[in-house]
Amino acid sequence: LFDHLVPAYSYLNDPFDQPLSSSDSEDETVEAIDEQEIYDLIATISDPEHPLSLGSLAVVNLPDIHIQPPTSSRSNISTVLVEITPTITHCSLATVIGLGVRVRLEQALPPRFRVDVRIKKGTHSTDEAVNKQLGDKERVAAALENGTLMGVLRRMLATCK
Amino acid sequence: MPSHLTLLSPLRPPCSTRTWLSAPHPTLPLLATASSDRTVRVYSLTSFTLLSTISGGHKRSIRTCAWKPGTKGESVLATGSFDASAGIWRKWERGSSGLVRDPDDIDGGGDYDGGEDEEDEYNFSVLLDGHDSEIKSVAWSSGGQYLATCSRDKTVWIWEELEDDNFETIAVLNEHEGDVKFVCWHPSEDLLASSSYDDTVRLYKEDLDDWTAVACLSGHEGTVWCVDFEGDKPRVGLKDGKELSEEQKKFIEERERSGPRLASSSDDMTIRIWRRRTREGQNGTSSHDRIPSILKSNSIEEDWYEEAQLPKTHDRAIYAVSWSKKSGLIVSTGSDGKILVYQERWKSPKETTESHSPGAESMDVDKLSISTATEWVIIAEVEGAHDVFEVNHVNWARRYDRGRRNDEEEVIITTGDDGEVKVWTLDHD
Repeated sequence: LFDHLVPAYSYLNDPFDQPLSSSDSEDETVEAIDEQEIYDLIATISDPEHPLSLGSLAVVNLPDIHIQPPTSSRSNISTVLVEITPTITHCSLATVIGLGVRVRLEQALPPRFRVDVRIKKGTHSTDEAVNKQLGDKERVAAALENGTLMGVLRRMLATCK
Repeated sequence: MPSHLTLLSPLRPPCSTRTWLSAPHPTLPLLATASSDRTVRVYSLTSFTLLSTISGGHKRSIRTCAWKPGTKGESVLATGSFDASAGIWRKWERGSSGLVRDPDDIDGGGDYDGGEDEEDEYNFSVLLDGHDSEIKSVAWSSGGQYLATCSRDKTVWIWEELEDDNFETIAVLNEHEGDVKFVCWHPSEDLLASSSYDDTVRLYKEDLDDWTAVACLSGHEGTVWCVDFEGDKPRVGLKDGKELSEEQKKFIEERERSGPRLASSSDDMTIRIWRRRTREGQNGTSSHDRIPSILKSNSIEEDWYEEAQLPKTHDRAIYAVSWSKKSGLIVSTGSDGKILVYQERWKSPKETTESHSPGAESMDVDKLSISTATEWVIIAEVEGAHDVFEVNHVNWARRYDRGRRNDEEEVIITTGDDGEVKVWTLDHD
């Protein structure tokens, strides 16, 4: 449905993942995904209203990225938590930025990762409300079927390579 | 654990995109699955294969679907979509008798394949328009008279089918302060439950031709994703086995006066069991903790309280909970990909005795001992039910395939982000 709206990303190498077609993998060694790689995936996202990246605006920061390994030996599910710092405390675009980060990671990471994106505590006037929206899978799914919003997200993610 | 879940079969072929919810047909061995590819797939529960694909009606993801109960000679399916509309679909069921097959005649129905010719397709019959944004859930009342729909627009609508294809909106309920995620009808009364992004569950009833809110259940600390009522003739589990003590008999009588309970599952990773306080209770010792209402008539208002919480085992949001109308078992699933089955049992006499003497702080010693007479335990668990993917829905369905061990046997159906629908059996060790 919205495949054509979203640029395609290849998954990172992941030891838990089935080997993908090796044509596009320049790196033969398979290693676990770390915080730096998560940062590299999202730092190049463009801010929706400035011609700058989220990394250069310090909206996303390496120390605010946390990877939690599976909670039990029987589980393969890891969690990525990204706390974003909006540029101003009442930034109305915080939700869109958060959505861009979530969409970018869900598309780039293997499906064994659960992606949680939150506003860093105390940096936004309505962080609770924004966090709840960003955590709501059904709302995120519906948002991705909204053409206008997808247009904004597509522009934000166009600078990711 | 005393039981375990075994994968009986996946449904084939799977969907290539996220599937949201599966609904078993009330009388036929059919399962309808709502999918983000804007289709509903109808699978056979005898052969586990795809029979029909319903498409072309909705412009966005189909989030939910529900079969109308009590239809004669045809199947009627309601769909709810992110395009803000609900659809009604019909298909004539031409069994050899010309009628919908008797649900008890399932041996004869073992080869049911949905018919061979083109006319056996599901035909789009009505579009129900009115919601402002995505529809999240649809549900028929037990008699099939009413259809409830709910939406991100914070409202619950009740539609009544006056005659074929003529649906009238008889209520628009604005109680919630956030998306309404799920609607579910009481198994015998015209009592509707809705759960929401605002962390509450609300109940509605008809009062002098007007539908009105009769209770608000608060306690959850996150979105309430799903609610399900207990069956009408449940609690067999507690009646099984050994001779009951007088106290236990009294407990069951009291609970039967309350009627079916309600289970709710939430983003807060808990499942809570809610129970209606009986009228005698309302007028008696417990009235002090009710919030007085001068605006609403007391005759219609109901008082529900949290009776129990199920063992906390999910690590992430619990998207679905389903209460077996036959066995009284509860099953849940969610973002962590686990399936958990819970059973209610009597506490052992020792535990009950201990909880009888908790000191004198409580004024409701009787109520306390009653509320702690049973406990919920996990009897089966599966991790990674859909590999690493989230599981969006789980429910119980009658078992129809040839391996069926008895008339009452049920299977568990899970529906996931991987597009898979899986059928599981519960085996007691």
